[in-house]
Amino acid sequence: MNQRQRPRRRGQGELEGLVLSALREADGPASAGWVQERLGGDLAYTTVITILTRLLAKGAVTRERAGRSFAWTPVSDQAGLAAHKMRKLLDGESDREAVLASFVTSLEPGDERLLREVLSRAKAEGED
Amino acid sequence: MGVFVFLPLVLPLTAWPIARLAEQHLHPRTATRLLTGLAGAMATCSSVCLGLLMVVGTAQLPGNPLPDGWSDPEVRAAVPYDEVAGRAAVPALLVVVAACGGTLWRHWRMRRRAHRALAGLPGTEVAVLPDEAPYAYALPGKARDRIVVTTALLSCLEPAERRALFAHERAHLTARHHRFLLAVRLAAHANPFLYPLRTAVSYTTERWADEEAAELVGRRRTVARAIGKAALVSRGTPVPTLAEFAAPGPVPRRVAALLAPAPAARYWPSVFTAVGAAAWTAAAGTAVSAMSSANSALTLAVILHAATPL
Repeated sequence: MNQRQRPRRRGQGELEGLVLSALREADGPASAGWVQERLGGDLAYTTVITILTRLLAKGAVTRERAGRSFAWTPVSDQAGLAAHKMRKLLDGESDREAVLASFVTSLEPGDERLLREVLSRAKAEGED
Repeated sequence: MGVFVFLPLVLPLTAWPIARLAEQHLHPRTATRLLTGLAGAMATCSSVCLGLLMVVGTAQLPGNPLPDGWSDPEVRAAVPYDEVAGRAAVPALLVVVAACGGTLWRHWRMRRRAHRALAGLPGTEVAVLPDEAPYAYALPGKARDRIVVTTALLSCLEPAERRALFAHERAHLTARHHRFLLAVRLAAHANPFLYPLRTAVSYTTERWADEEAAELVGRRRTVARAIGKAALVSRGTPVPTLAEFAAPGPVPRRVAALLAPAPAARYWPSVFTAVGAAAWTAAAGTAVSAMSSANSALTLAVILHAATPL
């Protein structure tokens, strides 16, 4: 309900980024309440918990028990989180090559030997 | 008309030799444009032909909204085995539409998701991701194109080779290679006989970007080494494809091409060499088949137009 009142609904990725950067500003482990306060009370407490749990699943944060709740510590930064998301996307897409032109495609069996031959020959010629 | 109406469906077969020759002997830029254009034209003719066959074969079936005149005996005379062909054309056309729609949708979804994954990063053109998997991608975007590269890949390249890598990816983006790739994919869905053209174009776009990078970096050998190193370091990321027996894969061919002199800026080999003669013959054959393909589709359209009750 709270979601609907807000002028603009933020994307999942955007919120994860916000929470992660807030957590990185803390000295040491921080509670979900601290993160919520840090973000200006813009998000519901449960939303912050949900996002932290999602970040935990992505390996971007760790948590440890502190009394009745958890204390959260960031593991990776924004770039690490982006890397994780990108990996997941690439692993899940079978024909990604058609959309994203990659630098190299996978080597077929036998290609490796051939490639090493070509490169070593090139090296030998280059040294002449 | 006789069996000629079916020509657009099978004539894409004639594009195979030209795809092979273009891939090997033309400048990759020319080859990419030529093969994409060819694939597009032949796929259009083939789809139009399928649509018209469906119309002729099924217009008189009860419950069909098409004008009965489109299925008059005179019209039917133009299509041999019209009953079978018409009915077979319906599922074929549905498959084509579904496959093309699916491809377009997946294309946009992939791009959108990739941009979203990078949303938290500073808006630089190059996004360096800390990841132990070595890969690099050119990610086209509406507002901003991006190059995605991991630290693992960068760490195994020397500075000059990194420049080659970035030049290669930038060439993909500036020349809008993803559009060529999408076009040939759609074409291959419209007519499976065009599949070899898709393979050829995905190779020639890579070669095109390699040549641009070589020109920018100034040393072909550096680009070749960058590709070789990147391929060897990322060989652990397997893609379950059918290995082509005996034929070397695209990477060794790209490296070998870069170690050879730059391809001639001349667009087409002379007709008086063996290669030139073969290329011209294949080109002429393909042009003829593209034209007869278009002609068949057009004739069928004209017949239907004449049969349209006004």
